[in-house]
Amino acid sequence: MARTWIQSLIKAFYIAEKDAGVYYFKAPNFTYGLLMPVSLFIAFSIAGQINSSQIVSGLTSLVILFGTTSIEAVAVVLEKQTGTFERLLAAPVSFFTILFGKALAGFFFGLVLATAVLVPLTVISGTFIANPLLVFIAIAFSSLTFSALGVLISAYAKWVPEAQMLSNFLRFPMAFLSGTFLPLELLPAQLGIIARFLPLTYSVEALRISINDSAPTIAYLLDILILALFSFILLVAGSKVLQRRLE
Amino acid sequence: MNVIVEAKGLTKQYGHFLAVDHVDLEVFEGEIFGLLGPNGAGKTTTIRMLTGQTKPTSGEALIAGYDIIHEPTKAKESVGVVPEVSNVYDEMSAWDNLIFAAKLYGMPRSERGSRAAELLKLFGLYERREDKVGSFSKGMKRRLTIGAALIHKPRIVFLDEPTTGLDVQSSRVIRALLKQLNENGVTIFLTTHYIEEADQLCQRIAIINQGKIVALDNPEKLKAKAEEQHLVEVSFSPSKDVEDQLKDLKYVSGVSRIGDKFRLYVENVSEAIPMLIDFCRENSLKIVSINTLKPSLEDAFVKITGLSPEVMTIEKEHAKKEESLG
Repeated sequence: MARTWIQSLIKAFYIAEKDAGVYYFKAPNFTYGLLMPVSLFIAFSIAGQINSSQIVSGLTSLVILFGTTSIEAVAVVLEKQTGTFERLLAAPVSFFTILFGKALAGFFFGLVLATAVLVPLTVISGTFIANPLLVFIAIAFSSLTFSALGVLISAYAKWVPEAQMLSNFLRFPMAFLSGTFLPLELLPAQLGIIARFLPLTYSVEALRISINDSAPTIAYLLDILILALFSFILLVAGSKVLQRRLE
Repeated sequence: MNVIVEAKGLTKQYGHFLAVDHVDLEVFEGEIFGLLGPNGAGKTTTIRMLTGQTKPTSGEALIAGYDIIHEPTKAKESVGVVPEVSNVYDEMSAWDNLIFAAKLYGMPRSERGSRAAELLKLFGLYERREDKVGSFSKGMKRRLTIGAALIHKPRIVFLDEPTTGLDVQSSRVIRALLKQLNENGVTIFLTTHYIEEADQLCQRIAIINQGKIVALDNPEKLKAKAEEQHLVEVSFSPSKDVEDQLKDLKYVSGVSRIGDKFRLYVENVSEAIPMLIDFCRENSLKIVSINTLKPSLEDAFVKITGLSPEVMTIEKEHAKKEESLG
């Protein structure tokens, strides 16, 4: 049993490694993953809508969201269109392993993008990170969650434009409602309730806490747990949706 | 003989459309088995169910002794799959494609390189191993797709329309490779709508039409089933389209046109020939050539499926058109 799990995990890594080379680690993807969130933050900073303490956690979370979902949302669609997804389906690999492998590629891409943003941001803003390990854990779970969200979008969409439209339909409201640009307390009550159903809210909160606190607080642990739950639910949902789509 | 593929009541329904209807078949280890039928007959769906890519609505299938529904991973370990459209990664090199396939099948690191090199040499792609597959021709991609399906030394290889859309030379190469593989002990299960291909390659053929297996036997026995129907091939001068008039003749049960020749399906040759001579006189035609033919597998196919003889010709022309466009 344990051997089967290890073999599945290894195969998921091989799929992630292949996806990283074929889809992710290309210059235009880095540019797009960074460009949109950075532009939004600059616009809000100039308008005086954002304080400097929010920048590090908010921008890092947004970069992970945009970076991972941009590619993840089309990776399965492209494979379905070119027929290469059949290669994966024909191999002795479970459906969940295939999608987990795909999510892993997005996860690693998210880690790299987050590091590329976080390091210069903390230097420029003079932010002191109290516990780098907590920050890393928050980034890791955020990457996995947003990557799983990309998998679900990709599983549902039939064509690349449909996947892109769905991604933007989910990303932009999330970007404005999750405490990224405005603290949640400043949002109207109804929007504050909606924010609690959005994974980006927990990513921003976990990052903000981990930057400021040296020990994990209950709120931080809860954020990580909720992100882990989101990851699992989104991956299982993606797996079910894709299986139905392929029938 | 050892049964390597066993399907019982295999059925696939898409909404109200019954794509595959209670298919029963057995494939013996070491044979080349063909599933022959027109487009939309259910060939691809059958192969997709047998290879675990889609779940049957009902029925079961054992592949190398493993239930494809309940033990798909085990079953897939013994199987290589070559889909209708070559599915190698254009962005990766030929070498990386094979290594990735080897990893997916859990091959040990020590064996991956040597097996990939062996296959690339066998398929004449070794010199291009470092090139991105996007730069390959259709035939080269097809060979690489077959190579990727063979990387883990499967006991059985499923090929869906292996030569469709390929030029004559590439098709010949693929057929020769399949024969060679089979000589080395690999079981081949292929679908095709090329009747000659099935006739040349397969030791047994199942004819599928509208989701049902309508005949299953070796090519010679299938041909024998068509022998009660006789064929007369005739060409006229001047060359005119008299197909409809020929169809109306008394002893003629069907007519197909092949180039400037008309192929007449008749019940009795000795009555049909004098009748044809009368027909020529009445229409001021001269007979340029006339032959009686032994039924081919195509004739057997037509007789068994009840399809118009033109169906397969149209599909061949369609495939050739796609090939020239591709």
